[in-house]
Amino acid sequence: MGIRSPQGVQGEGDGRAAPWDTAAALVRAAQNGDALAMDELLTLVTPYVTRLCRPIAPNDTADAVQESLLAVFKGLRTLRDPQAFYGWVRTATVREAVRVARRTSAEEPADPADLARLGGLRTDADGELSADVRDALARLPVRHRAVLVLRELEGLDEATVAALLGVPQGTVKSRLSRARSSFRKAWSR
Amino acid sequence: MSSSDPVLRLRVLAAGLHAGLYAEEHLALPYERVWAVAADLEAELPRLVPFLREFRVPPGDTERKRALAVGRSGLTESFEVRLSPGWCLMQSRLIVGGMAAAPEAGGTRFAVLGATRPTALRPAQWLYGRLLGERRGRAFVDRVAERAALR
Repeated sequence: MGIRSPQGVQGEGDGRAAPWDTAAALVRAAQNGDALAMDELLTLVTPYVTRLCRPIAPNDTADAVQESLLAVFKGLRTLRDPQAFYGWVRTATVREAVRVARRTSAEEPADPADLARLGGLRTDADGELSADVRDALARLPVRHRAVLVLRELEGLDEATVAALLGVPQGTVKSRLSRARSSFRKAWSR
Repeated sequence: MSSSDPVLRLRVLAAGLHAGLYAEEHLALPYERVWAVAADLEAELPRLVPFLREFRVPPGDTERKRALAVGRSGLTESFEVRLSPGWCLMQSRLIVGGMAAAPEAGGTRFAVLGATRPTALRPAQWLYGRLLGERRGRAFVDRVAERAALR
């Protein structure tokens, strides 16, 4: 798994417990049927799930978030290592977001002209993508969006992205290179 | 989205708790009236849950409270309660109860949840056996609608 911390997760560098420690304690309690802990965990993780879903399923973000959270909490009892909660949430969320996005997306190839103002997946202080970047991302095919979000936004390496999406590493490499070249072409216009 | 829509949030908790009771319905009544019934725990909960004689809630508007449930059999059970607009989550050592509501198309979407806590099932039969099942959930929602219509 990647070493970068999940963006927008609270509790980092401000003297409080690391987000995965906070989450791990709540996961353990929730696994024992503590509904109040589960509700806190839901509040804690919803912004992170939303940030992952928004670029992958820009037209169906609310659905993608709900489906992801349902999958995460339904399977919570099967998570053996509570410390691995965020990585586990990321896997479930990307899978659900891609599934929801594919339901409605026409899967048309990206038009470079649509990407004119895209300069990379930079985020603001809250870990949010700017609106024009989101617009441009929305026009990419779902599979390219998922790869870009995991690689650029989450900072995962190609092998981890491949494992998460269930595709060979070579596929990740080629999708990434095609998506990036769309950006570059658009940028040079 | 889940953080802002209480009904969606309760649906996720129902999935997470593998709740034995969960029901969700559209009620053709204004949200304010429906939630006024649900939030009035001390007066309304014993009318909504047939085997509950009393539900003692300390006065005040705080979101976190401790309440005491008294069953028809006289058994008592202490509950942690989280209450905010459109949202109520109650938990004892043995069981979990929840209600959620949100305005929807001129009416209200209302949801109810009941679940047992897996580590402490046995002494919970007095509530568990009766709380279980979809029919119970529907009946609960129907009673909420009846009470709200009277307001």
